Formats: sequence, C-alpha cells, structure tokens
Amino acid sequence: MIEVRSLGKRFGDVVAVEDVSFVADNGSVTALLGPNGAGKTTTLRALYGLIQPDAGHALVDGIDVASNLMKVHSRLGVLPESRGVYPRLTAREHLRYFARLHGLRGREAESRCSELLNLLDMEEIADRRCKGFSHGERTKVALASSLVHGPQNVILDEPTNGLDVMSTRAIRGLIRQLRAEGRCVVFSSHVMQEVAAVCNWIVIVASGCVVAKGTPADLLSTTGMDSLEDAFVALTGTRGGPL
Amino acid sequence: MRRSLVLLGIVLRKEVLDGLRDRRSIVSVVVPLAFIPLMVFYSFEQVADRLERVREITVPVVGAEHARPLIDWLGMQPGVEIEPGPGNPRSAVREGAAELVLVVPDDFAENFARSKTAGVEIVVDGSEEDAERAAGRLRSLIAAYSQGIASRRLIVRGVSPEVVLPVQVEMVDLETEQQRAAKALVFLPMLLVMIVFVGGLQIGIDSTAGERERGSLERLLVNPVPRFSILGGKWLASVAFSWASVVLTATLLLVLLERSTIWEIGLRLENGPQVVASMVLVVLPLALLATAVQMGVATLARSYKEAQSYVSFLMLVPVLPMALMMNSPADYALWKVFVPVLGQYALINELVKENSLALIPLLIASAVAVVGATAILLVTARLFRSEKIVFGR
Repeated sequence: MIEVRSLGKRFGDVVAVEDVSFVADNGSVTALLGPNGAGKTTTLRALYGLIQPDAGHALVDGIDVASNLMKVHSRLGVLPESRGVYPRLTAREHLRYFARLHGLRGREAESRCSELLNLLDMEEIADRRCKGFSHGERTKVALASSLVHGPQNVILDEPTNGLDVMSTRAIRGLIRQLRAEGRCVVFSSHVMQEVAAVCNWIVIVASGCVVAKGTPADLLSTTGMDSLEDAFVALTGTRGGPL
Repeated sequence: MRRSLVLLGIVLRKEVLDGLRDRRSIVSVVVPLAFIPLMVFYSFEQVADRLERVREITVPVVGAEHARPLIDWLGMQPGVEIEPGPGNPRSAVREGAAELVLVVPDDFAENFARSKTAGVEIVVDGSEEDAERAAGRLRSLIAAYSQGIASRRLIVRGVSPEVVLPVQVEMVDLETEQQRAAKALVFLPMLLVMIVFVGGLQIGIDSTAGERERGSLERLLVNPVPRFSILGGKWLASVAFSWASVVLTATLLLVLLERSTIWEIGLRLENGPQVVASMVLVVLPLALLATAVQMGVATLARSYKEAQSYVSFLMLVPVLPMALMMNSPADYALWKVFVPVLGQYALINELVKENSLALIPLLIASAVAVVGATAILLVTARLFRSEKIVFGR
C-alpha cells in the first residue's frame, strides 16, 4: 500500500508539486493522470525517495520514505522515467544484477530472471547485449529489472510511453497480473486509453494539485461526461488536453 | 555492515565485467603497457651505450713509430684499442670516418730523447659529444703517462717528484654502480604515477558520469543498496583497473630490464625484481586516491564530455611537480611524504638510490592516500544523495 500525504516540492521559483495526496491500495491499479508538466514524475520520485519533498510525506506499507529508504526500496519495484540500460550487459545479466542487489542468489535468482524474461516475451533478446536495443526493448529490460524481486508495491512512470502495440499489450497484461496477485500498482500516464484499459482508481493531477480522484465511473458521474477523455478535459481546465 | 559489503561486492563485480567489455577501458590499461616500456628500453639502451663508449675507445694513431713506448703503454690500458691512423687525419675526422686521431709528429722521438717537451696532437671534432668524451679520456691517459715519465726524470736527477707537484688532486667518487644504474631510472616515478592515473580513468568516468548520462543511475538508486556500497563498488572497480595497469607495466618493465644491455656492461640493479616490486608497492596506495578524485570530479561534472575534460586536467597532477621542480623533483624530504604524488616520487627516488624502502615514510604516504580517498568518497557518496547530481542540472 502506498500513501501520499500533502506532498509539495519546488525547484527554485518553480512549484513542481503543490499539494498531492492519494492512497493506492493493494490489489488495485492507481493511475496518476495529468497533462505534461503536471508534477507526476516529481511526485513519483518523491515517492521512491530520490527527491526530498519540501512538504508532506510518502509512506510505503506504512513506512515513511524519508526515514527508512532502504526498507522502502526493498518493498518497491520502480520503473523510472529514464529507461537507461547498460549497453555492454545482456538483458539476463541486467536482471541477475538487480536480483542480486535485492538479495536473491543462485538458482532462485536465475529462475526468477527466466520467469520475467518469459513473461515479457524477451527470450529472444535475453542473451544479447543491450547496445542497440530499441526503446521498447530497453523499457522491457528496465521493467523486468524492477520486478525481479517480486515487490509488493510497483511504481511505473509512463510505462507504455513510446511503445508499439505488442509491447504495450505485454505490459498491460503484466499490470493486470500484478493486480490479480494483490500487489499495489501506481503508474503515471497522460494516455487516456492506457488508464481506461487497466486501472481501477484514478488520481487526476494538474499544476501540481490533485483535482479529482475516484473510479473511472465516479469521474464520469461527477463531471457528467460520457467519456473519460471529456471528463479529463473538464477537470484539468484550460491547461491542455491529455494527448 | 556485512550486507553492505556483500552489496559492494555485487556492484564491484558488475562494474568490472562491464569495464572488461568496454574497449575504451581496456585501451586505457593496455596503451601505456604497449608503448611506455618501449620508452624505458630506449632510454636504458642509450645510457648503456654512452657509458660503454666512454670506457672503450679506439685510437687511430698516425706516426706511432715515433713514440713506440707511449703507444704501447696506451695499448695496454683497459678498454683502449690502438689502430693504424688514416692518411689525412683532419679530413678523416671531419668526414666522420674516425671519431678522433692521435697524431705523433716526426720530431717527437728527438725531443723526447733530449728531455724536451714532446708534443702530440689529438684531432677531434669538439661538437661531437661522444668524440669529445673519448678525447678527454685519451688526454688524461697521456697526461698520466707524461707524469710518470716526469717523475722518473726527476728521480734520475736526484729531485723528488713532489717538488713539481705542489698540489695533488684525487677524485673520490662515491657513486656506486647501483646509483649509476639508478640514473637510467629517473623517469620511472613519473611513469608509474601517470599509469596509476590513466589505468582506472575510463572506467571511473563511465561508471559515474556515464551511468547518469545513459539514464541508468535512477534505476540503480531505487534498490535497497546503501550509497556507500554503490560508490565503493564502482570505486574499487576503478582501483582494480589502475592496479592491473601498474602491475602489468611493472612486469613488462622487468622483462625489458632483463634483456637490456645495461646488464652486460656491469651496470646493474642487483635485485631488479625487488626494486620494481617495491616501486609498485609505493604507487598502489596512490591509486586509491587518484581514482577517488577522478570519480568525485566525474560525478560533479554535468555531462560525460565535461567529466572527460575535467579528468584529463587531473593528468597534469603527475607532471606538474616534475615541471615545477626541474632540478630535484624527487629528492627525498620528510614533508614530501605527506603530499600525495610528491611523496611517491620521493619514495621511489630514495628506493632507487638506497636500494631499500623505508617503512615508516611508506606507511605515512600510503595512509595519506587512504585517508584522502576515504574523505573524497564520503563527499561523493553525499553528492549521490543530491537531486541535482542524480538528475543532472
């Protein structure tokens, strides 16, 4: 379970996040939906502890991120915005590295790696060095690396951004599976179909503030709109569309 | 603590594997290995060659029949070889057919017999350094001969030779073979220190500035791994490359020393392997500090390119003391031991001269490097907590 309470962060004069609060339950997929520059990535970075918020705090399974980062990290799987990989390591070596950093070893680590490579349909590229991988392949490597230790809480920053149909489907399938396993998934997106396809709880963020939250059905009924996209435009005002 | 070290080991292993697959990291280890020992070889050959030429001179003599005793005496001196002179000594020397020529004039025998000063000529081109040196040796040999004759003439006349020798100069040369051999090694301190700086440079930049620029740093930092373990692993990988470079170069150096002709002329480092091993021992701790500084600087840089140029500036550090102190950069003084790089220079120089390593100064210099490295690593680990550093500026 993930909780964010009145989070605020500014960079110099720029207010990136003004006041963001939400709760993401286990066995649920929570979308942080908002236009570009709404503060989604900053919120997530504060959530996984690489940015120190000026106000408020974040809790993972009830543990304060600011006070016990190591413990929080061991319960988190994170796909950050940057999808960098090590060009001279193979996909499998990536997974093995991160599995070991989480304390998995030997046969346990290997079987976990194979499982994820299989799940994300990566067997063909598993033993190739990552240099020259496509954006989609790199995203899969990064995603698999963040899930290799089977974390209870998963944070994904725009997971399907720039991916083709097949990769997008694979990742959506994975998100559904995580939910079915009772894990807590939080992902950010500005793509409406994405959100409609997999999530059951939506937090709409605009200009660093939460403007609405609820199930997709809740949002439609409060705004009186027919589609999620119209509801989104109505809620985020004039600040620009979701696409 | 134990878990931190295990994690450090995992990071170290990954970085070494990554580094071994990086052509640039390998190049920075292998390039000095390939051409610097060649430089060593060349410089040794030169020193050996010069010493050999001074000791062994070939003297072409014109008119040897006029001064048989002198020429025979010269021929008996060690390293002197007499041969018949050319028809025209001046042009032979000018054209380089002979280095020098000893010319005995026709009236030598007559003057000598009448106890008058008999002259000889050494024809030499003074602009040729080697010829000049050989001529110097020949002249002092002839002077010694002359003095011997003079003493005998005085004794025959009942005069003590000491009357005409109010002052006698005797050179007491304390330079040992060992020290003479050491002269050929003066460039070694800088060489080894530079290799320390070069060996781990590439991997140090790649695992810090490179990791951030490729966008994999954020992914790495969201694992339950203390910053100390991450940075420590990366640092030790860099140290390992630096050390490998030093050890490989030293090994090659030893092989070259064994083959150098410097051995054959009796100029030898009696315990070459020990001396070289001690040098390696002196510079290895410096690698801890050098790599830490390089990684700290690379972490502060805004980009990979920037990191590369900053770290290249650091390469001036081994050269600067040499440039600033032209005459005695490596002379030993206790205070130098407390200054990284300078201390290593001093220790190596002392080692080559005295043929033994002073333990306490070595420990001090090494401790300075370890303490410095630790301080810089702690600062760099703090940098890795900064948002500005992690996400770039």
